[in-house]
Amino acid sequence: MAEKETLSTVEILEEIPEVDISDSVRDFAGQNGDYYVREFKKIQSSQSGYCWTFNIASAAFGPLWATARGLWGLFWIFAVCEMVLLVMLGSGLWSDLGADKFERAERLQANYETMLERAATAREAGDEEGAQSFEKRSENLVRAREKALAEGAALQAGGTNLMIIAIVGLIILKVFEGCSANIAYERQYSRWRGDRTVRSDFNWAIGALGVAIVSFVYIVTLLRFTTSNPSELITDFPIGNQYYLAIASWIDYWFDLASSNFAFLFQGVSRGIRIILDGVETLLVGTPWPVVMAIIVIFAYRSAGARVAVFTAAALAYIAVLGYWEKSMATVALLGTASFLCVAIGIPLGVLFARNQRAFNFGRPVLDLMQTLPSFVYLIPIIAFFGTGKPPGILASMIFGLPPIVRLTTLGLRQVPKDVVEAARAFGATNTQILRNIEIPLATPSIMAGVNQTILMCLSMVVIAALIDAKGLGYDVLVALQYAAKGQGILAGVAILFCAIVIDRVIQGKFKDTEKGG
Amino acid sequence: MKHEEREVVIELKNAWKIFGEQADQAMQAVKSEGIGKAEVLDKYGAVVGIADCSFNVRRGEIFCIMGLSGSGKSTLVRHVNRLIEPTSGEIYLLGEDVMKLSTTALREMRAKRIGMVFQHMALLPHRSVRDNVAYPLEIRGESKSRRWDVSQHSLSLVGLDGFEDRFPRELSGGMQQRVGLARALASDPDVLLMDEPFSALDPLIRRQLQDQFMALSEQLHKTTLFITHDLDEAIRLGTRIAIMKDGRIVQIGTPEEIVTNPADDYVRDFVQNISKLKLVFAHTIQVPINEYKPQEGDDLSRSPRVSQDVDLDYLIDVAVKTNQPTVTTDDDGKDVGVVSKDRLLQGIRDGK
Repeated sequence: MAEKETLSTVEILEEIPEVDISDSVRDFAGQNGDYYVREFKKIQSSQSGYCWTFNIASAAFGPLWATARGLWGLFWIFAVCEMVLLVMLGSGLWSDLGADKFERAERLQANYETMLERAATAREAGDEEGAQSFEKRSENLVRAREKALAEGAALQAGGTNLMIIAIVGLIILKVFEGCSANIAYERQYSRWRGDRTVRSDFNWAIGALGVAIVSFVYIVTLLRFTTSNPSELITDFPIGNQYYLAIASWIDYWFDLASSNFAFLFQGVSRGIRIILDGVETLLVGTPWPVVMAIIVIFAYRSAGARVAVFTAAALAYIAVLGYWEKSMATVALLGTASFLCVAIGIPLGVLFARNQRAFNFGRPVLDLMQTLPSFVYLIPIIAFFGTGKPPGILASMIFGLPPIVRLTTLGLRQVPKDVVEAARAFGATNTQILRNIEIPLATPSIMAGVNQTILMCLSMVVIAALIDAKGLGYDVLVALQYAAKGQGILAGVAILFCAIVIDRVIQGKFKDTEKGG
Repeated sequence: MKHEEREVVIELKNAWKIFGEQADQAMQAVKSEGIGKAEVLDKYGAVVGIADCSFNVRRGEIFCIMGLSGSGKSTLVRHVNRLIEPTSGEIYLLGEDVMKLSTTALREMRAKRIGMVFQHMALLPHRSVRDNVAYPLEIRGESKSRRWDVSQHSLSLVGLDGFEDRFPRELSGGMQQRVGLARALASDPDVLLMDEPFSALDPLIRRQLQDQFMALSEQLHKTTLFITHDLDEAIRLGTRIAIMKDGRIVQIGTPEEIVTNPADDYVRDFVQNISKLKLVFAHTIQVPINEYKPQEGDDLSRSPRVSQDVDLDYLIDVAVKTNQPTVTTDDDGKDVGVVSKDRLLQGIRDGK
């Protein structure tokens, strides 16, 4: 019986015996096992883990040794360094550095001779003045030729220097290859002991792959850098831009088709958003400013305390004094509508993703795409389908603002303790009851963090939304940007910042509140 | 009324649970070829949770299922209310075939007939103690006033009056588990399923709760399926005990049967260190009076007389007050056996 097995008595030894790794290293290394046994023992007995060990095979074959031994990381380091040095060596050795200068000197020499001939002919003809001018020109040509020759020589000498540097570099690299090989290989061995999927043994097939990669890369690269006129095949991608135009116009065609055929759908969406937005806007802009201001400050006080309330009052005063009141309220309405729609769509979507793994697998890359796609890219289809104005601006904000609420809802629901859900099920709760009574309440902190994130994401889109005529504070920033009006731009920017801080503080205050109250 | 005559409340017949994607194929292979646990894992990548488990629990019994962690006892108890679906087998609860219940009927049964207590309490952290206890009733759609009445009563049963408006996190582990028990009792179920309810508590609190639970059980007569990894607990509480190993039930019996007559080495190993004083009775160790060979100085006429149904604990009390062997009597007061001090010592050690 395993539970009661008594420990056999262990003999206490005077000296701790050495662990024998020989057989396992031989297993691991395959070829040349004994050599690696020796070297690994040396490395393992050094205190720093680094010691003088030199692997001749690695020094000689560098990247090829590394691939055959399965050390891909080392392979890339070796291969890239070797390639750079070989290109240097090659261009020193074969390419005619200074060749064009020497050519020019020859041309100048020929011109000089012609000039001298002309001078002679002129003198014979009795034209002393002309002859002198030709001689003067020939003297200039001599100077130019000497300069060209000197430059050519300098370049040639530079080529020699390059060669010397490359050779020295190659020697250093070879020494490094020899020294680092065993240390890296020993690390691989240590990994292999715990994880047998780590490559071991000497593998000819992979080694051959290494040879193929190395020779292909080296040859093509050397061709490119050392010959004066490399073939077009290796400098330019062989396909032209005929596909580009074809595909672009094909996309245009489908966009046009979709926007004309589904116009009713897009208009419907626009109109729906418009209705919500109008409501919010009337509430914020239509209501007299003292009322709105007082309500915001009181709300801030109730949810986040006196300090936030004072800050809120100051921020609102800034906005109002600088004449941004209406624009700010328009921006808040825009962002409020966008956030409201995000939450209304995002929470159910998050619940779906938490419940259904397949939906989650499908949805996750879409969410990633929505967050990583530069916003200008999705402005294009939005303009194509929805035109410009506020509803498309809200849609653009939603694309950016939706992912956090979906993600954090899913995360929150997944973090609900399984045993509590099981208990509810054991007492006969339906799925809906479990969701309403247990999962949603327990996921609330996470969901609230998602709401906060979503609002701030939407706010960060106000300037970009202004690009498609969504107006508001973003428009002021945009105009300032166009005319390089620093003052205006910064004032409007700070107004946006204040909106963001007030919203963030108020919501976080509220959220902490619910956390405390339990 | 003896337990054997009461109605069967919970019955499992040949229940199997195999976890894994190829569970059904594995199940077929087990049935047709009789392959073992290791082969199932090897061939189908499936894990046998419980294997061929059958037992029944009668009304008012506390049926303990005892096994080490990983033996499948928690999986087994979840079959009774189908929190886990068996791969094969039959389950009956209060005469109904649980496997044939519709989703709604199953929910109904869980809500009205079964109360469950969990190892880690599984209280709802965002609700007060009262709302936790009342949650089963809330699921059933009872009115708020009724919920408050019942939870108040239920909490008083477990001695937690005055804690109604606290939150679970404000209570100690022992108190939390009493809330768990109160919650299980709130819907006045016929059956209690207790999944290692006291395992997470320290020994002192555990003993208190065991005592409290036994007292409650005597009062309420709930049929109880009690899961534990602690044989002492099983023996203290259980009317009968099933011992599980590797998903199989290796022995079912009363505590005395288990201790005095273990089915195999596994069980024997377990019961070795269990105190037999309260489990073994005089009739088990007595030598029949006509086979008794008196030692020097014995005079059975001066011996104390006790019923043959007393336990060893009692026998020790009697034996220390005399230098004579103890004589046991049957229900009619007739002398039937003798327990010498040597025999008593042997009985204390071996249980027979």
